[in-house]
Amino acid sequence: MSEVAHYRFPPSQAYPLNRCLYALKSDPAFIERFLADPVGATTEMGLTEGERADLRRMDRDALVARGAHPYLVFMAGLRLKMAAEPGALEYF
Amino acid sequence: MLVGAFAVAHTPQLLIRPETEDRDLVLRVHAAMGRVKRRLQELEPDAIAIVAGDHVEAFFLDAVPALAVYVGRECAGTFGPYRYCLAIHEPLARAVVEQGIERGFDLLYTQDAKLDYAFYVPLHFVMPEPARPIVPLHVNVYLPPQPTPARCHAWGAALGEILRARPERVALIASGGMSHFPGTDRYASPEFDYDRALLEQLREGRGRELARVTGEELDKRGNIELRTWITLLGAVGDVRADVYCYEPSWHHGNAVVEWPLPGI
Repeated sequence: MSEVAHYRFPPSQAYPLNRCLYALKSDPAFIERFLADPVGATTEMGLTEGERADLRRMDRDALVARGAHPYLVFMAGLRLKMAAEPGALEYF
Repeated sequence: MLVGAFAVAHTPQLLIRPETEDRDLVLRVHAAMGRVKRRLQELEPDAIAIVAGDHVEAFFLDAVPALAVYVGRECAGTFGPYRYCLAIHEPLARAVVEQGIERGFDLLYTQDAKLDYAFYVPLHFVMPEPARPIVPLHVNVYLPPQPTPARCHAWGAALGEILRARPERVALIASGGMSHFPGTDRYASPEFDYDRALLEQLREGRGRELARVTGEELDKRGNIELRTWITLLGAVGDVRADVYCYEPSWHHGNAVVEWPLPGI
């Protein structure tokens, strides 16, 4: 079992990254902008080049190591995946 | 008065099922939620107070409340293609925030925050007909530092007293749980044995022991959302739980539970 907490205090230097992940999770207009122009959309959010690269690969461990909130990484990744390949979903 | 108490899983895969989710399991959880709906129908509540942890939807890092009460006319949100808007029981919501503050709980209140799916998913399945107004009660579970289990239990105890003294018939629902680790390397390995032991404890009416669990323990066990249950346990006391279902999926322990209240 991991000795480190799964959910940790979000460090302030990761605020732009978390804000970007939050927008990917919850702002459909931002997802569209991101899909059309990932560099422009993430620059607008104030992401560093390294953060942008990790986000492009959706490298969870790297993003979390930078201070991204795991849940935001998870949901942002899920939303992008659903936008790319809607797949078979059953709605109740 | 408090007429009913339930805990209901809110896993989004119960609402929007991807192919990776066992359909039969999802339907079994739906059946348990259907039982809650029928119970609510019998209990005839005037309002449903629902305790849930916002999933960084209404409250991002611009402001992180430990405890919050929705007190507007209505509350709305979206999840995937779902657009929902639910009426709030305004007099009850206002009484909860005013009396909660009187009792020493520094509650945030909002007349405009978005309503997270953690509130919506259980209500989608258990809302009786006709729909009842709700009182959404947020407990911070995802953004550390979260309120301690002891604090959640104390808030729940105060909430229970407030609700019992009200003229309305109120059903209380805790949303979420049990073990899951979204976004972490533990996603595919929740602690189902921990959940089962916990449910046994609740069946024996030993809910108040959860007030002594540490936040660190909840994080380790994938049970940070149990704060919503612990809040409810503060309100219901030593009532024995009736576990409608415990369905562990590959990533989540889904439970639906009732605490049948004596004298109701």
